[in-house]
Amino acid sequence: MAGLFRKVYDWLMRTFWALEMEVTMVGLQNAGKTSLLRVLAGGEFTLDSIPTVGFNMKRVQRGHVTLKCWDIGGQPRFRNMWERYCRGVNAIVFIVDIAEPELIPQAKEELHALMSNQTLLEIPLLVLGNKSDLPQRMSVDELIDELDLKSIRDREVCCYGISAKEETNLDAVVQFLMKYANR
Amino acid sequence: MSYGKKDEDADLGLVKVDRTQVFQEARLFNSSPIQPRRCRILLTKIALLLYTGEKFPKNEATTLFFGISKLFQNKDASLRQMVHLVIKELANSAEDIIMVTSTIMKDTGGSTDAIFRPNAIRALCRIIDATTVQSIERVMKTAIVDKNPSVSSAALVSSYHLLPIAKDVVKRWQSETQEAAAASKSSSGGYSLGFSSSAGNLPMNNSTMTQYHAIGLLYQMRSSDRMALVKMVQQFGAAGVVKSPAALTMLVRLAAQLAEEDASLRKPMMQLLDGWLRHKSEMVNFEAAKAICDMRDVTDAEVNQAVHVLQLFLTSPRAVTKFAALRILHNFASFKPQAVNVCNPDIELLISNSNRSIATFAITTLLKTGNEASVDRLMKQVSGFMSEITDEFKITIVEAIRTLCLKFPSKQAGMLTFLSGILRDEGGYDFKRAVVESMFDLIKFVPDSKEDALAHLCEFIEDCEFTKLAVRILHLIGLEGPKCSNPTKYIRYIYNRVVLENAIVRAAAVTALAKFGVGQKDPDVKSSVRVLLTRCLDDVDDEVRDRAALNLKLMSEEDDDMALDFVKNESMFSLPTFEHQLVMYVTSDDQAAFESPFDISKIPIVTREQADAEDRTKKLTATAPTLKAPKAGPTKSSASSAEAAASASAQAQRYAQELSEIPEIQEFGAVLKSSPIVELTEAETEYVVNLVKHIFKEHIVLQFEVKNTLPDTVLENVSVVATPSEEDELEEAFIMEAARLATDEPGKVYVAFQKINGEGALPVSTFSNVLKFTSKEIDPSTGEPEAEGYDDEYEISEFDLTGSDYIIPTFASNFSHLWEQIGASGEEAEETLQLGGMKSIAGKQRGDMGTGHANMMDHRCHGATRKDTLPPARRWDRRARQPKHTYAQIAGQERVRRPRGGHGPDGLFLQIGRDDKAHGAKRGGERGGAGDCVGGMNRFSRRCGILMQQEVAGKSRRGCNDYLNSCTNTMSSVSVSQKSSSLVT
Ligand SMILES: Nc1nc2c(ncn2[C@@H]2O[C@H](COP(=O)(O)OP(=O)(O)OP(=O)(O)O)[C@@H](O)[C@H]2O)c(=O)[nH]1
Ligand SMILES: [Mg+2]
Repeated sequence: MAGLFRKVYDWLMRTFWALEMEVTMVGLQNAGKTSLLRVLAGGEFTLDSIPTVGFNMKRVQRGHVTLKCWDIGGQPRFRNMWERYCRGVNAIVFIVDIAEPELIPQAKEELHALMSNQTLLEIPLLVLGNKSDLPQRMSVDELIDELDLKSIRDREVCCYGISAKEETNLDAVVQFLMKYANR
Repeated sequence: MSYGKKDEDADLGLVKVDRTQVFQEARLFNSSPIQPRRCRILLTKIALLLYTGEKFPKNEATTLFFGISKLFQNKDASLRQMVHLVIKELANSAEDIIMVTSTIMKDTGGSTDAIFRPNAIRALCRIIDATTVQSIERVMKTAIVDKNPSVSSAALVSSYHLLPIAKDVVKRWQSETQEAAAASKSSSGGYSLGFSSSAGNLPMNNSTMTQYHAIGLLYQMRSSDRMALVKMVQQFGAAGVVKSPAALTMLVRLAAQLAEEDASLRKPMMQLLDGWLRHKSEMVNFEAAKAICDMRDVTDAEVNQAVHVLQLFLTSPRAVTKFAALRILHNFASFKPQAVNVCNPDIELLISNSNRSIATFAITTLLKTGNEASVDRLMKQVSGFMSEITDEFKITIVEAIRTLCLKFPSKQAGMLTFLSGILRDEGGYDFKRAVVESMFDLIKFVPDSKEDALAHLCEFIEDCEFTKLAVRILHLIGLEGPKCSNPTKYIRYIYNRVVLENAIVRAAAVTALAKFGVGQKDPDVKSSVRVLLTRCLDDVDDEVRDRAALNLKLMSEEDDDMALDFVKNESMFSLPTFEHQLVMYVTSDDQAAFESPFDISKIPIVTREQADAEDRTKKLTATAPTLKAPKAGPTKSSASSAEAAASASAQAQRYAQELSEIPEIQEFGAVLKSSPIVELTEAETEYVVNLVKHIFKEHIVLQFEVKNTLPDTVLENVSVVATPSEEDELEEAFIMEAARLATDEPGKVYVAFQKINGEGALPVSTFSNVLKFTSKEIDPSTGEPEAEGYDDEYEISEFDLTGSDYIIPTFASNFSHLWEQIGASGEEAEETLQLGGMKSIAGKQRGDMGTGHANMMDHRCHGATRKDTLPPARRWDRRARQPKHTYAQIAGQERVRRPRGGHGPDGLFLQIGRDDKAHGAKRGGERGGAGDCVGGMNRFSRRCGILMQQEVAGKSRRGCNDYLNSCTNTMSSVSVSQKSSSLVT
């Protein structure tokens, strides 16, 4: 009986309070965007993920909220398209591979270039330092400094260290994103 | 269902779809959540616009594309289908289309029976570019062998389109394609149209179309490798392997093409074609029959079965079957009427068929195959429905009648009545032209019809809407009118034109008029023409006035001769010779040739009668079918002979240039003849070797083009050891090595031989060849070859130096003339030869001489002639556009044509490539020279097994052909006639 009630409740929630929000994930190639999205959507983590040509789209369901996630390829030829796919979304997720410090300056440049777009004003930014399971990684504080996140003042900015592989800290990511669902 | 009603509404909506409005509406794509139904309708509108030729500007297309990309991965399967469809169409106009690659790739897999999979595959291949093809390789490979035919077909067709973009990648999918071609996927389950529901299950179809697509793709993948193609035809051509008739049709065409390209494949391919004549699908039967009928120099025996099959179809209850069979027979009747004869009883039954297209072909075929007695009856039948058929068919009929007029001159009256009758009918320019030209031919070739035909034409120009035709008719009246019994009646017709027509016709009329005045003996006529011409001096048009003034002046000349020369000159340059000489002049390699202007006085002048006679022969045999059937698919349309000649001469020039840059070879003098390229290895081997044989006065130079295809190796000191089997005739002079051959960079090795028996010798020999070189691997770290290599040898195929390598096609404007000329000073020899090695020359000569050569001797007698003084000529003949069937065959070659009028010696006309001038001068006066030549010639012909024939004088043309055919077929011995001479003596 309780099960039935639950089902009816869920149905009501989905039908009348259903919320859909859009999130775009960007970052240099090999940062782990596709892997993260797959894990968030309940899939298995795989080591041999192939580079994304163009973009990928997946829905992540949490309660009555549907996250429509756009995962855009990070290879240089796709970077000028990031802005286009970030327009009008509820949040932008920027993913960095924290086990490859030498790529950080490049990531920083791309991030700030993206943030300077007038079209993306005030869209909240979530920076994720991915691959925290690997030994030679930098800390979140280091990452904040290296990426000069403090200089971004025109929007809400948040930064976490995560691991798509070990599924560390993924709850925090979802929590953050859900905050902006009802906007 | 209420669908019908809805569709009607939608129809109305779609009619007034407007691009800008649709573009505005496209904001819908960005709204959240997605409304599948509305999006689908909008996408349909976009698709409609794109399919009906509307073009979105780049920025709009890009915006649309980004909007649409938001719709991906929707649960609604029909929406997904629509998205793929529209993305595919936008692929060419929008930017950054590559963005959707990953997403579409996901849709190509998915649940196995998702309805959108084929759409996704097709869209995927449109958006991919050469750099990213690799990333879809796995997807494509699995899709090709998918158990669902729709998916498999989509993948195959997409690969077909990808092939030109990414050849190497797509070629790796061969084994999958092979599998798809062999698999017969007939899955159960009904056929549904697929827009039933948005649940989106892929409808199963059980067509065998996949095989067709797979074989089409396989052919494209292997098109450069003949052996692979042969294997493919044999593997899939075997009974029962391939079920799809369309796929078999493709194999039929491929087999025909292979038989055409390689004489050695003709027999096995013919056998396959024969088998397909009995296939259970009509489509395959037709294609096979057509291929056999179209085959170069097909023999009666080979075509027998095909004609029989077509004959059976003539009695089919279905009109389309009858039509198809009849059309093939009709075309074939132009080449071999006697082979189609057997079908006449069945064709007779079709002449009154209610389908006019069938009736037309039936009648024209009968006109071609029938005898004189049936002509009248057929003409009557035709007149019955002439007004009911289209111009195209009318032309077919007119052409048939035109040939008939020449064939049976006694029937001219009836035919003329018919022609003048239809000339009055409605019809377009092409039709009217065909009729008028037929009447021209009657006037030219059937004297009895002249006055009547002219009268009909005069009447026609009274009301002729085609300026071009009026001008031509006026010219003819000017030419023929003055010679007729009552010229004055034509003057009236002509002058009417001066009064009533446009300037072009008026000018032509003035010229025609003048022909009645100039040289006119009757003073009355002359003065009336003068009066009329004087009136023309006031014409508003310059040209008309000029012509009138000129002709008045000519008429008032005391000396008629000059005027006659001007106005009534009946002779003209022999146009074929003229053209040939001009081509020789402008394509000359020799700078000196341009120092003096072209000398027109060297061109022989022929009288009109002569020209007409030639024209007549040509028209009688003109077999070019009108209403040409479309050429079989993959067969490469052979470049016209003129083009082939042009490219051959350009090639010869290039060789001569290259050779003259090598001092050692330069000493040999000018190259007399270069053979076409001979492949000594298969195209896909480690070392690819091709050969060109260059003939010099006293030397033979073999040019080996070697390509090393091994990656990361360098070949050094590459040489070829070529050993002739006849060592007492050829002595090696030197070998020029290629110093270094990097991967895929071709290089040349030259091997020179001296003819031991001097310049008169024509050594023939088989060469065995070994490629020798030092092979060095490239060190991957430095990119330099290693210091130490190892010596290696590589055996390459043997090749022959044969008689054909010495033969240069020559231009004979007037064969019998040449023959007689030589006959006066030359010697004639006859010999009987056993026709053993006949095949050898067949293959070799094809490229050498081909059609061009054959046609040069157009309709003339042939003799085995050796002319030592005519300069070697390149082949050039505008008549080379003859159909590929010939009436007599020599070893599969179309070299011998019928003798004109069935008299005169027959044989083969050859010229030996040697430096003739020097030769003649040296021998000056020696009678022995000629004898020598004969000896050489005999040796040479015996070796090559050239078939030469003679003494068919007096035999009818048919008899002559049969005679030749029997010679070739039975390989019996034949008499040989030769003449040789040295005209300098
Ligand atoms: N150790 C570890 N490896 C990870 C983690 N996340 C992703 N990877 C690996 O990193 C590689 C790249 O992952 P992808 O998800 O394809 O990277 P991407 O950002 O989508 O790359 P593009 O599509 O080219 O932009 C893969 O080999 C993943 O297995 C992680 O948390 N830990
Ligand atoms: Mg990715």
